[in-house]
Amino acid sequence: MMSQDLVILFAAGMLVTAYLMVGQKALFTAIRLYALQSMLLGGVAIVMGLTDHRWHLLAGAALTIGLKGVGIPWFLMRVIDRIGIRREIEPILNVPASLLICLGLTVVGYRVSTGLADGAEGAAHHVIGVSLSMLLMGLFLMVTRRKAVTQILALLTVENAVFLVALGATTGMPLIVELGISFDVIVAVLILGVLVHRIVDRFESMDVSHLSKLKG
Amino acid sequence: MTLLLWTLTVPLLTALVGVVPLPRWLKEANLVWGLALTFLLSMATARQFLAGPPPTAFEEALRVDGLSALVLVLSAFVGLLSGAYSVGYLRRNEARGLVSPWRRREFDALVPLYVFAMLLVSVSNNLGILWIAVEITTLVSVFLVAFHNRDTSLEAAWKFLVLGSLGLAFALLGTVLLFASGRGILGEGMAGLNWTRLVDLAGRLHPLTLKLGVVFALVGYGTKAGLAPIHTWKPDAYREAPSPAGVLMAVGMLNGALYCLLRVHLISRAALGPGFSGGLLLALGLLSVAVATPFILIQWNLKRLLAYSSVEHVGIMAVGVGLGTEAATFGALLHMTYHTFAKPLAFFSAGTLAQLHSSSDFDEIGPGTLARTPVASALFMLAAVIMTGSPPFGLFFSEMTILKAGFAGPHTAAVGVFLACLVLLFCGFFYQVGRLVLGEQPDAAARVPDPERFDAGSATTILAATLAVVSAFYLPQGLLDLIHAAVRVVEGAR
Repeated sequence: MMSQDLVILFAAGMLVTAYLMVGQKALFTAIRLYALQSMLLGGVAIVMGLTDHRWHLLAGAALTIGLKGVGIPWFLMRVIDRIGIRREIEPILNVPASLLICLGLTVVGYRVSTGLADGAEGAAHHVIGVSLSMLLMGLFLMVTRRKAVTQILALLTVENAVFLVALGATTGMPLIVELGISFDVIVAVLILGVLVHRIVDRFESMDVSHLSKLKG
Repeated sequence: MTLLLWTLTVPLLTALVGVVPLPRWLKEANLVWGLALTFLLSMATARQFLAGPPPTAFEEALRVDGLSALVLVLSAFVGLLSGAYSVGYLRRNEARGLVSPWRRREFDALVPLYVFAMLLVSVSNNLGILWIAVEITTLVSVFLVAFHNRDTSLEAAWKFLVLGSLGLAFALLGTVLLFASGRGILGEGMAGLNWTRLVDLAGRLHPLTLKLGVVFALVGYGTKAGLAPIHTWKPDAYREAPSPAGVLMAVGMLNGALYCLLRVHLISRAALGPGFSGGLLLALGLLSVAVATPFILIQWNLKRLLAYSSVEHVGIMAVGVGLGTEAATFGALLHMTYHTFAKPLAFFSAGTLAQLHSSSDFDEIGPGTLARTPVASALFMLAAVIMTGSPPFGLFFSEMTILKAGFAGPHTAAVGVFLACLVLLFCGFFYQVGRLVLGEQPDAAARVPDPERFDAGSATTILAATLAVVSAFYLPQGLLDLIHAAVRVVEGAR
């Protein structure tokens, strides 16, 4: 039972990081929160792998911690360092309202999770509930924030949520597939970083609401 | 190595050679001949399929059935045309100093890489590999969209990558949920994600998980296909991408994404009956056709016009698949084939018009282009006639097939709306084209376009025009066999 509790604890931790990210305006802190979230995701995979002796989960966990817990955050911090922008501007919706909406999203996420196979009880209920809530919160962040880096973080949160669903609802994706997916995610983040550079060079800002010439 | 693996390796090698700094004629020869060889190999693979059992590789992670073979051949065909057109296109842009040698190398590597990813999509039997291949096309096309490095290209590339990644996150969630719905019975290894296995075990999948997975996967891959509601990246990306790359996205990616949608639809149909995913595809398709209508009527840019036309066409295909009868499916796949023949002409002639006028905005090009750039304008008129589904060209027949199948079925009201939208779209497209190509000459002070010349670009455009016209009256028997084989796959054959 101990391991179940640990899994639930880690999953809950991920949900907390997602909430803190919604309430956060300093970009460095948001990136650190993302790093913590990825580490916790790795933690869930390690505990599950050890309890059920599914060793391929451990390889996936190492990948998650190494790339998403350390690599991507380091890269994003470098991007921010170089372009010298530290804070999110006032989001389209203020923080208390955002948090309230996210609370509603969590309820929705948990409600949906009960419909899935094995989603209604035990640790899987919480893992799937948390991941669906995080997914919705990531989408919410994406539409309400305007800084390019915050949008990347929102996208990565959605990605983490999908990986958590994979852990909760399946016995883990096949390793080769997971490797391929991780590789693609890394390349996507690198490209996004390059684009942020080009956008800042061009517009002297990373406010994506400048990107509004194309309409109709 | 088997034929199938060679088909995938050759474009990769072409991409590798593309990175190397070489004299221009060698680079051009590498691109065109590499893609030509790819096309020949893909035809040989399709022939191998027609002659015997489906070619497979890596524990059936790659498998060529009728649907795969059709999409494979069409994708390789578009890759070859795009490569051939890019020769003339890049020469012209290089002459004007718009393309640096570094960009040129980027282009020579990215186009074959894109073709590789498209081919990989079309032969993927494994849903995980399928997702990875679609993601590769997205990542590659970001660079193609940002190619010209203008303000607007960055905007388009950013929107494209963010929306595309979001769509793919949905598709990944859908894939995970599809896998989850077969908890335990699919097995843990790579083969557990094989489409064939999911279809075989469809009756034992957990229905609610499956439904959720199907919805996410359809919306996710629908984003890549450009189905409404997440089609908004399309006009921006098409406007900014260089024309040879635009046609890869407009035809290759569209066919590939439709292939993904069909695979998901078939799993859902085997497990839940035709109503669920079919209804969803019908709704998304109708929405796409309806959304495209007003934007075509108010359009101000040539390539965005083509983008909305592409939203329309993918909508038509989705409607055909969604209707679900054998005749409608045949119509949808026929539509895909004719669209593949017609779209390159539209992109190439529009690309040449835009290049001659150094802009793709209507205000800069028109009105009255027919008098100033007669050949490109006439070819674009021909493209408009074909693209809008006018008789006697192919798209007219495929649209009629879908409409006829639709009115015979239970969704007559939906098909009625669909028909009304098609008529409006037809009028809207011709209104725009007429405004641009005909119309009065502007005063003499207006900017004079570059003179038309016969070069590699126009030669490819004329070739595309010939193919688009000939395909209306004659499709090779092998291609027809492939279409029928694809219909049988959709109807449940293996």
